[in-house]
Amino acid sequence: MRTTPSLRGRGIAAARAVAIGGAAALLASACLDGGSSGATDRVEIRWFVGMGAGSDAPTIPAQEKIVEEFNASQDDIELVLEIVDADQAPNILSTQIATGDGPDIVGPMGIRGRSTFPGAWLDLTPYIEENDYDLTDFDPALVDFYRIEEEGQIGLPFAVFPSFMYVNLDLFDEAGLPYPPQEYGAPYVDADGTERPWDIETMTDLAKRLTVDADGNDATSPDFDPANIVQFGFGNVFADIRAQSTLFGSGSFVDAEGNAQIPEHWAEAQQWYYDGMWTAHFIPNGPYGDSDMLNAGSWFESGNLAMGNTHLWYATCCMAGFEGTWDTAAVPSYDGTTTAKLHADTFSILGDTEHPDEAFQVLTHLIGDAAEELTTTYGGMPARISLQDGYFDRVGAANFEGQDINWDTAVDGMSYVDNPSHEGGMPNFLEAEAVIAEYATRFAQEEGLDIPAELEALKADLQVVFDAA
Amino acid sequence: MTTQPTEAAVRRKRRNLLFSACTTLGALLLAAIFLMPLGYGAATALKDKDGVSDPNAALLPVSALTYEYEGEELDIFAVPMPDGQTRELALVEPGRESSVFVDPENPGSGTIEWEGRWRTLDPVTGLDPQWGNFSEAWNTIDFVRLMGWTLMYALTTMLFTVVSSAVVAYGFARFRFPGRGVLFGLLMATILLPPAVTLVPKYAVFLQMGWVGTYLPLIVPQLFANAFNVFLLRQYFLTIPRELEEAARIDGAGPIRTFLRVIVPQALPALTAVSLFHFFYAWNDFFEPLLYLAGNRAIVPIGVGLSYFSGVYNSEPHLILAAAILALALPVVIFLVAQRVFIRGIVVTGVDK
Amino acid sequence: MSDFTDALLTARRGRRSGRPASPMARREARWGYAFISPWIIGFVLFWAVPIGASLVFSMLDFQLTDPDATTFAGGSNWERALSDPDTWTALAATFRFTVLFLPLSLVVALGLALLLNSRYLKFTGLFRLLFFAPSMIPLVAGILIWQQVLNPQTGWVNRLIGLSGIDATGAEGIRWFDNPVLVLFAFSFIGLWGIGNSMIINLAGLQGIPTQLYEAAAIDGAGWWRRLRSITLPLLSPVMFYNLVIGSVLILQYFVVPWVLFGATGRPAGASKFLLVHFYQEAFVFGNMGYGAALAWFIFIVVAVFTGLLFGTARHWVHYGTERS
Repeated sequence: MRTTPSLRGRGIAAARAVAIGGAAALLASACLDGGSSGATDRVEIRWFVGMGAGSDAPTIPAQEKIVEEFNASQDDIELVLEIVDADQAPNILSTQIATGDGPDIVGPMGIRGRSTFPGAWLDLTPYIEENDYDLTDFDPALVDFYRIEEEGQIGLPFAVFPSFMYVNLDLFDEAGLPYPPQEYGAPYVDADGTERPWDIETMTDLAKRLTVDADGNDATSPDFDPANIVQFGFGNVFADIRAQSTLFGSGSFVDAEGNAQIPEHWAEAQQWYYDGMWTAHFIPNGPYGDSDMLNAGSWFESGNLAMGNTHLWYATCCMAGFEGTWDTAAVPSYDGTTTAKLHADTFSILGDTEHPDEAFQVLTHLIGDAAEELTTTYGGMPARISLQDGYFDRVGAANFEGQDINWDTAVDGMSYVDNPSHEGGMPNFLEAEAVIAEYATRFAQEEGLDIPAELEALKADLQVVFDAA
Repeated sequence: MTTQPTEAAVRRKRRNLLFSACTTLGALLLAAIFLMPLGYGAATALKDKDGVSDPNAALLPVSALTYEYEGEELDIFAVPMPDGQTRELALVEPGRESSVFVDPENPGSGTIEWEGRWRTLDPVTGLDPQWGNFSEAWNTIDFVRLMGWTLMYALTTMLFTVVSSAVVAYGFARFRFPGRGVLFGLLMATILLPPAVTLVPKYAVFLQMGWVGTYLPLIVPQLFANAFNVFLLRQYFLTIPRELEEAARIDGAGPIRTFLRVIVPQALPALTAVSLFHFFYAWNDFFEPLLYLAGNRAIVPIGVGLSYFSGVYNSEPHLILAAAILALALPVVIFLVAQRVFIRGIVVTGVDK
Repeated sequence: MSDFTDALLTARRGRRSGRPASPMARREARWGYAFISPWIIGFVLFWAVPIGASLVFSMLDFQLTDPDATTFAGGSNWERALSDPDTWTALAATFRFTVLFLPLSLVVALGLALLLNSRYLKFTGLFRLLFFAPSMIPLVAGILIWQQVLNPQTGWVNRLIGLSGIDATGAEGIRWFDNPVLVLFAFSFIGLWGIGNSMIINLAGLQGIPTQLYEAAAIDGAGWWRRLRSITLPLLSPVMFYNLVIGSVLILQYFVVPWVLFGATGRPAGASKFLLVHFYQEAFVFGNMGYGAALAWFIFIVVAVFTGLLFGTARHWVHYGTERS
């Protein structure tokens, strides 16, 4: 322990600066309670985004603009936008709810959000009646979709996001392959005119020929080098295990008694995906999927994926800056059944809100006057019938000027939606999802797994979590 | 003793010079490896999105050269021609085994059919730093707000902890009282206690008080001194000659006055060092802000803000790196300016934070 | 540093026989208590009471989302903590990383300090600055930078390794964040960036060793290695003990790096599910506060046992020379 006398003089000036800084900070700490500016007597309504569409970087400015315009349009409500990363959103929202500091409006929120927080939402029925809110512009079936037994009308329909195949036409051209069919039920026609049913098997063959290594060999070639793949044939973009498996048909990990189950066709789907990643190499595995070559998960946008299966929202979240040419295609069938999974988003009000009337006013604005702009931003098909006309023209004009994209495929896919939903509820939802994610990590990252055994283990783990509920 | 340098002395001198050169060079190499990620971060932060995602991209922020042909942006490749020379051609129509190119120098002469696999060709690139990434990151992460809250947090807690720790340290340094040894040992032991063990009840209480979602749970405990700081300051106070205090006491000053008039001015170097330690610690703090501010994203400090940002923008690594570099700029600059005080401070107090 | 360990060691035997107190002494004691009272209050409020409360919490079935339904759970949270496979995964992960990083960081910090203290090194001020600078980089920023540097396809580390002929890039290359062993090295690289403080402490210790000792040894013909072993290391051992204790306390509570990189997923293969990550997920993500409290106590016991063992070994290798006051 030594002291250096020369330091003492030098320290004084620094210490004085420190003291001044500290005093300034003390002043700043007067408004410690976190930015609640008491200047206006407007009611603050917090709008939480992240449980569905809307947390992707390119959609943020449009949402900020809606908030700005709303705040400028009236003097009673101060709308505050909170956008969080979709991965973190359930954690953040659950903390907020637990601390009694929840937002007022949550949305757009998928079915998954509803499953995560059962019972947290305000029954809108009295507000609809009180305000004489006109529901005739919605499909009554869609309104009822958000009417939950014992919870009431927990949301109003906002947008639907059908899924379809995104096809990179340049990569098909490069390989000299004809494009997949855009009509459900239509066959795939080979380069030599042979017709094949548009099913998983045909799609697998195409995908292998569209998977290419750095030397230009495709995945069917004996020279193909799986260590240096530069382009993949197929991938289910931003999809968890339940979403992926739904390509083979809808299902659920929960059986009628509330016990864990692995549907048989989901087991087949898992085996197919696993082989596609690790032996046939036409689906990006974890290491490739996380790499920059495939845009760290946003695979199709990278231009290095020939066919991607995902929802309508992907077009606006991620495809606006795409440099190549792309189009839609039908989802291939499995075992004679076609399933095009559906995302449906709503706006809901948290049951704990202190200002339900103002929140309802904002909600009706978001699904009313702002719906046209918001659905275009999020890429959802508007639930309002009056907005569906010309919707795809607007999306096309806003994001894909000069491109000829066949949106009918998206609309037609709505006849093949998944029921039960791949985002449906599970007992002890967050922990059940964590267990599934753990399996999914091994599935995507480790070679040489015995998938049937892994699924057995998953079922046992899920049973434990379900039992604890 | 003045003699001609003997042969041995010359040899020793030469040997020392050689050792010096080798050691310094080795240290330089080591420092280069140690700081390499910073260079990578800077280079990548200046790349465009394509430059980041291309596995064969160059190390520096280059972009593939393109050529506009019939309304389309075409990439330019170095193409080995059958006659043995390599030409820089724009790829019009890629194909598996043969592709169509055009010569940007002479587009009028029509397209060129080339046999071979275009994927094996090298793209032609040019240096093209994207300075705009920084302003984009600055705006999207709302850097001014993050910085404001971080500074508020760091400076407020710095003031609180330094003042309270100095008071406590003086108590331990200069006053004899029963149980002093045991209490000081207890204080030291809190350094070794994992904070996790107190977290659940503290969180539950702060939750009840409505403090979760505000800075209060992070700031208020700093009013009650911190073991590290107390230890450092006490060590320093012990080195201050007692005569100074005795002189003040003879002048009739009480312990508080003595502390303020004699000890504090004498201990400024240590107080400064402790302040700086705390400032950097608070700047870095992640766990507690993550826990207590969860859900109030508008006021998180920079570390938590960065981690949220990297979640939303995870497919844009160049922006993440630009934001990371912005976040490290201020502390590194402060450190460079104050480094003498800082490093001496560690030596003075003998221990780091 | 030696004073630090001294304080801890003497606290155990720092019991003095009661003396009759003079009025002067009583007045001094009153002032002493007054001055340390902020810490006493803080200790009771933020340490003593919460630690006790934590023990009570660990016996409750307390859900953050439903606090009204709290019931007494007896030892069931403790049973669960001990039978939860994740607890043992977390303990194993924590110890694997400790075994790797703790010695590594001690050796590198010592090595750099020796280098900076070398009389052959020119520009010592500059080098001290260069090796210390990364410690000033906010941890999250450092993590994000390293995450890209270690990126298997485009990161510089794999490209550098690739220069030596090993096929490091690409999917079959070195995947730092996907391999349960390599990821510990990735954590170590990130950790070594924060080594500046222990380096400086070592340096301060080295500069405190009287040069006469080396001169005497040189006259005896002792080489560099002999001098290191018989002078430097023994005299530096209190400093190294301090670094060891603080390092292990910090490493047993490793959280920020795995959390920023992987959340609570434990990727890859449970290698990043450290004790504190497991605790945070259960208590604050799933809201199982009662179970979380039991896990916190578990961590407390692990840290106490580990540091206890370290202090137990201290007398065998930590040399307290004449400087003990």
